[in-house]
Amino acid sequence: MATFDQELDARGLNCPLPILRARKSITGLGGGQVLRILATDPGSVKDFEAFCRQTGNELLSSSQNDGAFEFLIRKAS
Amino acid sequence: MAKRLQAAERRASILAVAKVLFADKGYHGVSVDEIAARLAVSPAVLYRHFPSKLDLYESVLSAIACKRENYVDIVVRGPDDFAGLLKRMTLMYVQSVARDPDYLRMELHAALAGSQAAYQFFENRWRPFADYIEYGLGELRREGRVPAVDARVAALLFQGMVREALYAKIVHQADRYRNYSLEDLVQQLVILFLQAVRVT
Repeated sequence: MATFDQELDARGLNCPLPILRARKSITGLGGGQVLRILATDPGSVKDFEAFCRQTGNELLSSSQNDGAFEFLIRKAS
Repeated sequence: MAKRLQAAERRASILAVAKVLFADKGYHGVSVDEIAARLAVSPAVLYRHFPSKLDLYESVLSAIACKRENYVDIVVRGPDDFAGLLKRMTLMYVQSVARDPDYLRMELHAALAGSQAAYQFFENRWRPFADYIEYGLGELRREGRVPAVDARVAALLFQGMVREALYAKIVHQADRYRNYSLEDLVQQLVILFLQAVRVT
């Protein structure tokens, strides 16, 4: 499993809450640190792609397992 | 003679015309013949794409109900305080409805008809507000900035206010709200809501 520094469980939450909570979580990370997000909202795939484009953070991976989406995002330095 | 269209284009044009007619007259007020006449095609062309009027109606509802606002931009680009984000979300939503007022009429028709689409309308259009209000009031409660309140009922209060304002301003175009801009209305509604749930 990929390494990460903090995890956010956004399963069961719908837009805009996963994005809002991710924004708050990333604020507390240092540059280069990685946030792992779990989500179930099908719209979260496009949402996190847009989120990373707009914030300059890097979407390291986006995958789906057992009905949940996993995103790894590295905070911009 | 009607221009010959590809199947996908024809289907989209049928949905667009049917949406306008259903929004204006409701399911029972529109016939397949009327939709076909508006499109300048025969009813047989419609039945090639939709087996029945009910199937066409459900397809129209589903296409509208599944539309979702993309709130990523407003979450990322502004302050994340509860009131500020609620205001930006609401303004984005009402501006979207103002661009396509038929959406509101169809939502009402779906509710009255007991259509499955009524559930989709809630899930895609209203649930972001319900979830955000429930989450936001929970956060404020933990910070001691709001007294104990049933957040789900509070979400209903907000949803009802916004929906009624949209009916008055956009569907009925009531004279008494003519001088209110959408921004003014949203600002006032959010202020009243915050006062009602006693956010400090």
